[in-house]
This record gives sequence, C-alpha cells and structure tokens, in this order.
Amino acid sequence: MTTPPQSGREPDTHVPAEALMTRFEAPEPGAADATDTTGKGKKASGQLRDIWRRYKRNKLAVVGLVVVAFLMILAILQPWITPYDPMEQNLLNTRKPPSDGHWFGTDVLGRDMFSAIIYGVRLAMIVGWSVMFLSLIVGLALGAVAGFRGGALDSLIMRVTDIVLAFPALIGAILVVQIFGNGIWQVVIALAILSWPTAARLMRGSTLSLRESEYVEAARSIGASDTRIVTRHILPNAIAPTLIYSFSHIGVAVVAMASLAFLGIGVPPDIPEWGTMIANAVPSLNVEGESHMWVFPSLAIVVTTLAFAFVADGLRDSIDPKLR
Amino acid sequence: MAKFITRRLAHAVLVIIAATFLIYLGLFVLGDPFASSGEKTVPPEIQEALREKFGMNQPFFMQYLTYLQNMFTFDFGIDFEQRRDVGDMLAAAVPATARLAVIAILIEIVIGLTAGVIAAVSQYTFRDVFITIITTLGIGIPVFVIGIGLRAGLSGEWIFPAVPRSFTVETPWWQEIILPAFTLAILDAAFIARLMRGSMLEVLRADYVRTARAKGLSERKVIGKHAFRNSVIPVVTYTGVSLGVLLGGALITETIFEYQGLGFLLVRAIQQHNNPVIVPIVVFAVLTFVVLSTLVDILYAYLDPRIRLH
Repeated sequence: MTTPPQSGREPDTHVPAEALMTRFEAPEPGAADATDTTGKGKKASGQLRDIWRRYKRNKLAVVGLVVVAFLMILAILQPWITPYDPMEQNLLNTRKPPSDGHWFGTDVLGRDMFSAIIYGVRLAMIVGWSVMFLSLIVGLALGAVAGFRGGALDSLIMRVTDIVLAFPALIGAILVVQIFGNGIWQVVIALAILSWPTAARLMRGSTLSLRESEYVEAARSIGASDTRIVTRHILPNAIAPTLIYSFSHIGVAVVAMASLAFLGIGVPPDIPEWGTMIANAVPSLNVEGESHMWVFPSLAIVVTTLAFAFVADGLRDSIDPKLR
Repeated sequence: MAKFITRRLAHAVLVIIAATFLIYLGLFVLGDPFASSGEKTVPPEIQEALREKFGMNQPFFMQYLTYLQNMFTFDFGIDFEQRRDVGDMLAAAVPATARLAVIAILIEIVIGLTAGVIAAVSQYTFRDVFITIITTLGIGIPVFVIGIGLRAGLSGEWIFPAVPRSFTVETPWWQEIILPAFTLAILDAAFIARLMRGSMLEVLRADYVRTARAKGLSERKVIGKHAFRNSVIPVVTYTGVSLGVLLGGALITETIFEYQGLGFLLVRAIQQHNNPVIVPIVVFAVLTFVVLSTLVDILYAYLDPRIRLH
C-alpha cells in the first residue's frame, strides 16, 4: 500500500523470486533453527542478509527501526530512568509548565509528565507486543488449520472471523472490555480478539495456495504426517503476510489502547497512559500555558505509531517484495 | 449474479443475527445494573421491583427474543439514567451522525481523489513526494491526536464554535460540523489518495491508455476519461466501507468536539452502564457496517464480473 520514495523501486534482480517462494525463514533465529536440516541454516542466514540489504534501502524504515529500538530500551529501563515516581502526586505543584525540575511539566494531579510519558512507553510496548504475539499465534494456528483441513472446520472458523470483523474495531474492543472489566490485560485480550481474524484469514489464504504445491505433495508421498507438513513445510513459506500484518498491528494496538483510555474505558484511570493523560488535559485545552499537558503525550503517540508504521512498511518491502 | 446476491445477503443476515446475539449476551453477562455499586446502595426489595419492571427477571433467551421483537417495532425501551425514551434519543442522534458522516465522506473524496491523481500524474516529482509524505502523516497520526490538536488550536476562534458549547449562543449546524468532519476526513483522505495513486499508476501503464495517447487525445482527456474512470473502482469500495463505519457513530471525534451524535451518546452510555442505550447503538453500528459492506461487495461484483465466480 505504501510507496516509500526510493526503496524497492528498481526490480529485485538480485534475488530470484523462487528463492523467497520456496524457503522463507522467519527473522527469529529460533525459527531458522527449527527448519535446519542438511545445511539449510547457511541458506537462511543468506536470506536474512538479503532481507536486511533490501530493508536498508528504505531510509525511513531504518529511522523507524532506530526509534523502535530506542523505545524498547526506554521501556525496559523505565524504572531506573524516570526522575520521579510516575504515580506520585503533588497537589501543591499542579499544571506547571516545563521547567528544570520537570522537563515536560506537571499534570492536573502534580505528577511529573516526563516520568509519566516514559512509563507510557513501557505500557505501550507491553500492550503492543502482547497483542501482536497473541493474535499472531491464534491467527497462525487457526488459519493454518482452516486452510489445510478445509471442510466444516474451515467454514466454522471463517464464519467466526466474519462475525468478529462485523464489529467496527473500537466498538468491538469496548464491548469486550465491558465484558471482562477494566485492566491492562483485559485491554490486551480485547485487542487480540479483534485482530486475530485478519491474521487467520491471511494465513488461511497462503496455506490454501501452498496446500496443493508439489513440494508439499512430495513431503506427503514420503509419509510425512499432517502436523509435520504444516509446521515444517507450510508454515515457514506461508508466514510472511501474516507476520507483516501482525507487526504493522503493533502501532494500531497502541493507538487503540490510547483511544480507549481517552474515552475512559479499559485502562484504569490512575495508570499513566498517553490517552488518559490527553483526556485529563481536555479541560485546559484552550488555556494559555498548559498546552504541555496534551502536546507531549500526543507527540509520544505520534512518534511511536509512525516509527512502527515505517518499520512495518520496510519489512513488507524487504521480506516479501511480491506483496507490494 | 442473482445467485451471488442471494448468497451474499444470506451471509449478511447470518452475521447480523450472530452479532446481535453476542452483543446482548455480552451486555447481559456484563452484570446487573441494579446491583449496589460504589456509593449507590440499592435495597434488595427495590432491586427485585426494578428487575420486575424492566423484565430482567426472565430467562435470558426470553429477554433476547423480547428485545429483538421490540427492536423490530422501534421500541427501544427507557434508559436507566434519566428515564427517557431511547427511541427519542436515537432519533435525535442518528441524523446528526449521518450528516457528519456524509460531509466527512464528501471532504475525503474531494481531497483524496485530487491528491491521488496529482501524485500519480506527476510520479517521482516533488509534488508526488510531498503528497506521499502528507499521506504517510495522515495515516500515521491517530485521529484523536488530530482532533485534540484541531480543538486546541481552532475551537472558539473565527467561525469555529467553542467546545464545550455555550448555552446562550445558537450555532448553525454547519459551523459545528466543520472541525469534526475534517478530523474524520483526514485519515480516509490519505488512504484514498494512496489507493488512487496506486491504481492510477497501474492503469496509466495499460495498453488502452497508450492507445488513447497514440490516437492523439489530449492529456486531459486521457487522464480524465480513460485513466480516471478505470482506476476509481477501489476508491468506491473503500469509501463505501468507510461510510459504513462512520454512520455507526464516530466515538472519538464526536467525544472530542462534544458533537451530539451516536458516538458521543454511546460513550456516555458506556460510562453510565446504560445498557438500553448501548445495545441499540452497537446493533445499529454493526448493522450499517454489514449492510454497506454487503452493498459494496455486490457493487464490486457488478463492476467486475470475475468476482462472482468465487
């Protein structure tokens, strides 16, 4: 969908399309090991190098990757780098503009905005990645089963995805949160429930197209079990579109959580979350000298979503040029 | 074609039935609105009387069937907070949301198509790169950040009414609608521009466009008549689905601008656990979404006969 300015414009003559077709290795080293029989690990590393070479061409994607890495480091180190306790209130020092002591100022309850935003990074990373892994695992499993088995099970799974996808995203998430109650993990579950159907459909599609291919038939003819065929032969080749979708969904999940929090749904109000911070700033939106209360959390969200979007674009162009 | 339409409609009905059931089940499981919570203590005998009054002492399936029956006769019951007729509340909110949705769609079509065509026609030039950057930002920046920014910067200035509304000043509807409509339109306009650019570039490479040029048509005619008409189909599809989403209520945007539509109503109802208001709005949102996606599918199959085979 995206067309980054320069990257991938020239046709990929270096890598024959079949090389990608026949043996795609997931970027995780673990996945490469799993399929490592007779010296194929070497080939996998060659392919990773190809992916990286194509990835590097997209400058925005590289910038995005740097920012994402930076955010991950912030998220991990948060307890040690926040100058104040992000939850600590100081009612004598509320709504103060940025100063030496409080770089991003203080909020309605006198909490340090800088610490709160760094805490928000941690929260966003935890939620974003958790949603990604949950929906990826469920989507891969159900999509592969639906595509490989076909029949009644396939119809059942596809009808379930139809029903879930009939809900406009935010409304669906709100309903699930209403059922499970407020809390970060409830939000994660709600967002995962809404995002696995797309992953499952993508996986089903690529599984279907591979099911009748010759190498799968070859595997079957030498007596490989269904489980083995799906996990060793189909999964590595079919995973790319689903993986890319799930990755691009991290940013979507972060925005969805912030949107829910902004509406006061799902995220407990005392947790420093970007959407909550912006909601708290709404009464002073037009007040002179208090704009720091919504500007900094907004910037944090924008930087995060743009960085993940750039990385996702870069991944799509480099892992699977056919998708463009 | 008739067979395709029948199958698609049956599918839509099935999805709607399942979704309404899930909504009702979900909100029923959600809990008892008459239970004591927080500061509110409700004596057991009053709880019993309230349940009796609202028919919540009956088995779940009976409640669901009664609800469906009432909904088909446009009887949505009475809300829990202020004892208003939910039908009246919806009748006030639906036109406001529909107006907002239609205006937002018009804005995004005009901006999106123009930007997409310009980008495609001047591929790789400064204009193209500039539009690409803007669309990337438009898609990447969350709607509620855009909305908050617009409200902070513009509301209360010039022709834009202040939020929250002043009770004494009467604002004409078109002034109230401009900012929320733009907030909603930005994301979709960026998407449409991208879709249009992509499909137009594809069409411009087609043989019949070369033929049109070869026989000496002006560039204006080649683009406007041959290329544009054939590349606009994906945009039609996207806009249809987008309208389906917007008609169900724009929760974030309406809340930011305190626009009295379905989305704002739903958000307040959720904060008050006001089930009689939540259920019909969510059902309505699902309904419009499914109906419009179905219509778009049928339209697409009509425009592109290859689809019908699947």
